[in-house]
Order: sequence, then C-alpha cells, then structure tokens
Amino acid sequence: MIESFRAPLTGEVPDDDLLVRARGVTKRFGGLLAVNKVDFDIPRGSIVSLIGPNGAGKTTFFNMITGFYTPTDGEIVFDGHPIAGRRGSKVRSLPPHRVTALGIGRTFQNIRLFGTMSVLDNVLVGLHVHLKSHWWDAILRTPSQLREEYEAREQARALLDLVGLREREDTWARNLPYGDQRRLEIARALGTSPQLLLLDEPTAGMNNAETRSLTDFIRRLRSERGLTVLLIEHDMRVVMGISDRVTVLDYGEVIAEGTPDDVRRNSRVIEAYLGRGAADA
Amino acid sequence: MTAGRPTVQELGGPRLPPPGFGGWLQHVSEVASRWPAAYRHALATRRRRTIALTLVVAALLVYPLVNRFALAGFSRNVFPLPLPDDTIMVFMLIFAAMALGLNIVIGFAGLLDLGYVAFYALGAYTAAFLASPHWGALGFDIHILTTVSSAVPGIHLPFWIVVWIAAVVAATFGALLGAPTLRLRGDYLAIVTLGFGEIVPIVFKNLVNVNFELGPIKLENANLTGGPLGINPIDPPTLFGVRFGAASGIAPVYLAMVIVLLCIVIARNLERSRMGRAWMAIREDELAAEMMGVNTVRTKLLAFALGASFAGFAGALQASYQGATTSDFFKFATSILVVLMIIVGGMGNIWGALVGALALVYVDKALLPYISQRVQDVGESIGWQELADFNVASLNFLIFGVILVAMMRLRPEGLLPSRQRAAELHHAPPTEALGAEALLEPEAVTLEQEVSADLEAAAGAEADRDTPSGGAGTDHRDRQGPS
Amino acid sequence: MDDALVQTLIIGLSNGLIYALVALGYTLVYGIIELINFAHGDVFMLSSMLALSLFLGIGLTSETPLFMAILIIIIVLVVVMAVMATINISIERVAYRPLRNAPKVAPLISAIGMSFVLQNLGLLWMGPAVQGFENVIPNVNVLTTVLGLDTGISITYKQLFVAVVTIPLLIGLTWFVANTRQGKAMRATAQDPNTAGLMGINVDRTIALTFLLGGALAGAAGVVQILFNNATVYTLGFRFGLNAFTSAVLGGIGNLSGAVLGGIVLGLVNAFSDRYLSAQWTNAIVFGVLIAILVFRPTGLLGQQLADRA
Repeated sequence: MIESFRAPLTGEVPDDDLLVRARGVTKRFGGLLAVNKVDFDIPRGSIVSLIGPNGAGKTTFFNMITGFYTPTDGEIVFDGHPIAGRRGSKVRSLPPHRVTALGIGRTFQNIRLFGTMSVLDNVLVGLHVHLKSHWWDAILRTPSQLREEYEAREQARALLDLVGLREREDTWARNLPYGDQRRLEIARALGTSPQLLLLDEPTAGMNNAETRSLTDFIRRLRSERGLTVLLIEHDMRVVMGISDRVTVLDYGEVIAEGTPDDVRRNSRVIEAYLGRGAADA
Repeated sequence: MTAGRPTVQELGGPRLPPPGFGGWLQHVSEVASRWPAAYRHALATRRRRTIALTLVVAALLVYPLVNRFALAGFSRNVFPLPLPDDTIMVFMLIFAAMALGLNIVIGFAGLLDLGYVAFYALGAYTAAFLASPHWGALGFDIHILTTVSSAVPGIHLPFWIVVWIAAVVAATFGALLGAPTLRLRGDYLAIVTLGFGEIVPIVFKNLVNVNFELGPIKLENANLTGGPLGINPIDPPTLFGVRFGAASGIAPVYLAMVIVLLCIVIARNLERSRMGRAWMAIREDELAAEMMGVNTVRTKLLAFALGASFAGFAGALQASYQGATTSDFFKFATSILVVLMIIVGGMGNIWGALVGALALVYVDKALLPYISQRVQDVGESIGWQELADFNVASLNFLIFGVILVAMMRLRPEGLLPSRQRAAELHHAPPTEALGAEALLEPEAVTLEQEVSADLEAAAGAEADRDTPSGGAGTDHRDRQGPS
Repeated sequence: MDDALVQTLIIGLSNGLIYALVALGYTLVYGIIELINFAHGDVFMLSSMLALSLFLGIGLTSETPLFMAILIIIIVLVVVMAVMATINISIERVAYRPLRNAPKVAPLISAIGMSFVLQNLGLLWMGPAVQGFENVIPNVNVLTTVLGLDTGISITYKQLFVAVVTIPLLIGLTWFVANTRQGKAMRATAQDPNTAGLMGINVDRTIALTFLLGGALAGAAGVVQILFNNATVYTLGFRFGLNAFTSAVLGGIGNLSGAVLGGIVLGLVNAFSDRYLSAQWTNAIVFGVLIAILVFRPTGLLGQQLADRA
C-alpha cells in the first residue's frame, strides 16, 4: 500500500489536493532564527515526516501549524482556511483552540495528559470542541445535554476501543504505563475529529514491538479513517517505513525533500546528521 | 450519594428523554423514581457505608429541631456543651455555599482567588439595595411582589428574586475582574484578586457623602452605601407568612440548607459536564487543554463568574438573614478562611469543601468560644485573673494560620482527599488515587517554559554544530537513520 | 512650586523611604525563589513592636541627652535588625524550605498562613489597640530653626533621621548584592537555582542569606517606623506590607533599585492621595495602582531581574 502511494512533489499538485500549504514560514526568537523561509506542503491522505537534528526547528514548525506560535513571517493555509498570515503589517495566527476546531489534532513530545483525570475524561476533553451544550444546560441537565453527553461517551469509548484502552477507562491517566499513555494521547487527539494528525515523536521510549504496532496503527488511521498524518520522528526505521514524503530541516531550513529513498541518499542530509567527514567518506 | 460519573442508566441509557421542557420533566421524574431502587441497591451492596451516610444526613436534618427543643435548654441549664445555635448553623451553611463556589474557581479550574470576599460583599449589598428602606432617602419607593407595606419607603423586592439578582451581579463583577487578569500567572492573579477583595469593601464604606453631577443626574451629599454604618434594616425572606430572619428560630436554618443543597447540585452537575472537564483540564495542563480545543480564556472566565455567583447567593442570604450589612464584615481574613476550608477539605472535592466549611465555622464560632469560656471559668475558680480574662477565641486566626502552614507541609491533598474519586477510579491503586489534587502537584510546564525550552534547544543546536559528536540521548537515534 | 506641593513631596519621600526598606525584602525573596512572601509585612510589624518595647525598657524619652539617645537608637537598631534577621531565617526554615519543590501556590498559601500567625502573635503581645510612642526626635523644622530660612516648607529632624538611616542601608544592600561573593551567589541562584547548585553554590545557604537581609531591613524599617510615625498596631503589617509589596511590583519585582524607586513613588502616591483626595480612599488607590501595574505592565517600571541593574 505504502509502496503504491507516491505523493506528487511540491507545487505539482493543485491546491485542492493539499491539506496544508505553508509558504515562506519564518520564526525568529530574539536573534535566533529557528525556522527560516520554509515552504511545506502536506497532500491530503499522505503520511509526511519531518526530520532533522535536534534543534533544527521541527517542533517550532509544528507549533506554528497548531497556532501555538505566531510565525514571524510567511503564511500557513489549512484546508482552505488561513491559520497564519499577514494581516496589515503584522503576521497573525488563529488561537490554538480555533485551529483544533478546524481539524488539526496533535500529541506532545513529552506526554501531556491530564494526569488526575480518568482515561475516559481525557478523551472527552478531546471531544470538547465539538460539543455544543452550555453551562446552563449542564446545571439543568437538559435533555439535549444528556443526549450529547451520552453520545460523547459512546464516541470516546469507541476511540478507547480503537487504541485498546477501553478496559481502563476509569483509571487516572497518570497511573497508566508509559506506552498506554502514548496511545491515550493519540485517542485524545482523535477525539478532536482531526483531518490532520500531528504526532511529535510518537515512538520515543518505546521498544521494538511497541514501535511496530504503533506504526501499523498509524497506517490504519490513514487507510480506515482517511487521516493525513504529519510525523516528527527520530527513529529512522519508522520514518522510512511509513512515510510517503520526508522533509529534512536543518538550521531551520529545508535541506532535502522527497521520498524516503531520495532523502536516504541525499548527501546534505548525511552531512547534517553525521558531520562533514561522514559525507566525504 | 452515588459515587462516580453518571452511568448509562443515570444518563437515561438507551431511553434518552425527548427534547424540550416536557422531556426534562420526564427525566427529572424518572431520576426521582429511581431513587428508592438505587437506595435499596446501595443498602444491599455497601451496607455499612450507606447506613452511616443515612444517619449523618438524618442527623443533620433533625439537629436544628433537637437543638432548639432539647439540647439548647440542656446545655444552658444542666451541662454546657459546644453546640452551634441557629445563627451559627446558618453561618455554617452560608460559608458552605461560599466554599462550594470557591471550589469551582480553585479546586476545579486551579485559579487561586484571594479576594473571594468581594463577591460575598457584592451579594450582600445587592440584597441591601433591593430590599430595604435605604433608597427612600433619595426618593425611590418601589414595591414589587413584596409583603412589605407600601407605607415603608425604599425599594422592596422579595428575597426569592433578590438572590438571583445578587448572583448575577456577583458573576458580572467576577467576569469584569477576570477578563483582564486571567492571563496573568498564578501568583499575580492571586494578588490582583486580593486587591479587588480589598477595594470593594472600601468603596462600600466610603460612598457616603457623594457629590456628583452629570447632565440631569445630580447628587448632593448623597448617601449611596450607608458608609461605615452599613445598611439596615433589610427585609428578611418571607414565604407564605413564614419569616426567615435572624429572630425566626430554625426556619432560616432550613432555608440555608435548601440553598446549600441547590449549590451542591449545581456544582455536581457542572463538575460532570463538558465545562467541568474543561476546567480540570486547564488545572492539569493549561497548554494541553488549549491545544485540545478548549478556549481557555473563556472557560476560566466562566469558572470565575460562576464561582462568584455562589458568593453572591451567600451574600444575599447573609444580608437578608441578619437584616443588616456593613463593610467591616468583609475582610481579607474571610477570603482566606474560605480558601482554608477548601484546603482542609481537599481541593476539587465538593464534599471536602462542604465538610471543611461546616467544620471551620463550627470551630470558629462554636468550639473556640466554648473553650474560651471554659478556660475563663477555670481562671475564675482558681483566682488567676489573667486566665480569667484570656480570650482563646480571639486567637482563631493564629490557629488557622498554623493549620494553613501545617497542611501545606504535611497533607496538601486535604484531610478528606478525593475518596469519592478513589472509589470512582476503582482500578487505580488506592495510594495513587489519594494523591494531592493537581494544583498542589509539581507544576506542568508553562507556556513561557515551553518557549524557553525551545529557545534552549535551538541554542543547543547552535553549539552542537562545532562538535559533530555533540549532543546526547536522542541524538543516537538520529544517527541510525540515513546511513 | 507652591509650598503645599513641596511639603506633600517631602512627606511622601520620607514615608517612601520606609516603604523602600520593606519593599526590598519582598523583592529580594521574590527574585530568588519567586515567592510573594506574605509574612514579610508582619515581620516588619513585629520589629516595630520589638523596637517599641526596647525603647520603653531602656527608657528612651525626649528628655534623654542627645549623645545617649543616639547611642540607644544605634544599639536598638542593631539588636532589632539581628533579631528580625534570625526570625526571618527561621520562618524560611519552617514554612518555605520544605515546600521548595512543591508548586508555586503551596509556599504562597504557607506564607499567608505564616502571616496570620505573626499578626496574631503581635495581637497577643500588644493587644488590639494602637500603641503610641512619644516623639523622641523633635518635630522641628530644620530649615527655619537651624538654617534660619524664611520659608513655609518644613523639613524636620525626623525626616532627616529617616534619610540618615535608610539611604545608607539601601546603598549598602545594593553594593552588597552587586559586588560581594555572596551577592553574586544570590544573583546566580536567582537566575537558575539548579545550575547555581551545580556550580558549587550552597543554594540553601544563599536563600537563607536572602531572608536574613530581608529580615534585617524590615527590622531597621520597624525602628524607623516607631521613631518616625510613633505608632504600631498588629494590623500594621498587612496594610504596610501591601503598600511595600505594591512598591516592589511597581519598580519591577526582583529589581532592587526598582523597589527603592517604587517605594518612593508609592510614598508620593500616598501623600498626594491623603492631601488632595481623601485619606479614606488612599488604600483603594494603592490597590488600584497594584492591579493596574500587574495587568498592564507586570514587569514594573524598571523591569524584572534581581540585581541586574542594581
């Protein structure tokens, strides 16, 4: 399946087929240029990886897609909606909760679950953005609120089934083993009904078996739910195994982009990872 | 008192109520009709616990009657006991309502509010403005649905309307204060709320001789708030000829019980809703909550406003019950007392807040004065004049201060930790489930820390450049890649 | 400028210097451990009570000969500073150090508790009434009586006394933090306690030193308070403490010269509000200033950071 899928190169596809279109995205922290004029596209239904040495600007870029950082310059369009862009003289971006509502879900590099809330409640927070009932509905427990809560719970339980945590829905999130916490984070992100799922180092700290099952799971998300996935990952077996396209950042700039094979052979990439000597050798 | 989040049955299960008011009534009556069965079930499965709870509730319900008609006389004439009288009971319940409200702000949403007394004052003064002869002096005479004779000057609305207005006024001010301040860091928010809690009573105290002219509005030496003397008399609540004032015996105790019950139901329903989950998510990790689609500013504002409305309720009850209100009643110490109630009870725990409030007001108003009296009696009898003059009760805040420090050091999760939750989370090992609430746990990474971590990571990468072997940990995984 | 205005300035300035002494205690502690040390105002209150009882015990009166009086004041100043420094260190040991790794609100709540404890100790000690002390330093206008100027403006011996005590202390402290080894350790700890610890700085001792300095300054402020304002009461700490804390925030909390500037500005705000508005509104105005700064410019006038600009 993966082998048969080859995403077209940047610029060769009509905009309609791009879920994310970023142009000239730049982020500066004081004097430090964390991300520099990055153009980046994510075709619908693809699995795209963002790799690069530590501090290359991957997570910073991630945070600009989710609206957490406002770019210093450039624009990001998601599914036809501008997430960040120039308005007047300033670049503005949507607040994160609005971005989430548009259909971007994410996980965190260092797990950030709601520790003393139950597993089920964690997923329900993910569903929050699509629930409509107001506080007065909650106080009065109106039929519409009861219905919504009931349906939300069913939906959350279905997501827990999907990640295999249904049995533990009453446990406090922080009492879960590490691997389960990672899976719960994904279930929570799926609760926001995303079109695009951003995974920040999802296999960090996992053993081989866990990594393999997670990779399969990401593939299933794409094939069964039609999700588009953007991955930051250090484990190159994962990256090379599931990505349709790989983008390599270094010093905040794109140094290579293409299929896993293209990137694997790219001398600039080898240099960035292993230093100049390695590339020459 | 069923534990845990609503079960499928509780939610209506597969038979969800139809929409609209009719559906709501149907749902309420169904829930009510399930109670006997649920109680029998609880009695069968958790017998001792259920019996104990039944006895506690029953004792609370009959205590005011027993006290009035038996215990009070016994304590006065036969043997002195540290019994709360009617007034103390009403205040225990008023503070319970406040603790339940502040628990929404601090316990659920994790926002440290040190000026909660301001909303209590706003509630009390709202009641004083809308149900007293006060405005008669300025020529306002308005009587609506009230039993007060129209010969009495001033504005007179029935208590049953006034409490709701008081709640709305308090909530409005809560939102007004919260809007600019909720972006502040935790300790700055605490100080801003503290300042607000000080300003409100000062304003009420000082608006006595107001001279003001704006277009047609002209005030000359107008007494807007009663100044240091406050406002009295305030109409007591009245229903079907029964008065609920300070001189009305046990009737106001039961009125206060009903109000506290209402507060419990509201707090419970909010806790188990979309909003309650959003509050707790913010308390646990504000940034993650925002990323999951929670509008954190609006959600925090709502916690602030709804929490304030409980104090508005309590303030209106206090003013109407006592028939008077003065600005001196609303001190910083009162705000801290309510915070202490929540800490003692266990933050985020509705029953903890309730028990904390009842216990601390009891200690403050009944137990300490009792001990004080006994100590003085001993002093009298052994002829030690210093002891006979010594007032233990005046040291209440010394004791409360020690409790605050001790609680933080020894038991930050409160004396009644979320057992409710422990029961609810029956899969969790009990030791873990009894842990402190998140507000008192090592903090989640804040936004600023997140940014600075990014900065450091980026700066670290700069440094790594010169040494190809630089960096550790995850870098190893980097290298196993495109080789 | 008209005389009334100048007079208000002078009154504001002398009160502002006392605020500055207490504000430094807040700002030092906040700079190091990011704690709003609620109990600090009450340490100041207790120090004014200690000074009062020492003066009464020794028998300082307005009749005491000048040389004796100066000697007594110096001795009392040293004793009160030492005692309050010790007390402040003990408070840190009991109420804050065990909570060092807890989240920020835990020590804040503990500090509030400690504040109530100290306040009520003051109540136990001297009772609920305001305790007055006679005017030892003459309230005589130096400009007219000594310098023989013909002016409506008045600078009294008392105001000079405030300046003579506070200004050297303020300069001494800023010098200490900027130039000594321990001062550098304090600044390093303020930047990053963990790294400072790794660099061989004894973090516990540095924090204790901070409380020592804060306590000593509050002690000096208490002595000045009893000689300048001639009164103390157990609630003094709360009122005065919030004024001083506002000063610290106004100047940029964690910033030493900011605290001094903030104290002086707040003294002026107080004086002008008392004179041109009404004393009963002064507290509301101080809190209004505090809220406005926190909301609109949380870094204060001079910005944050301990001692960087000191």
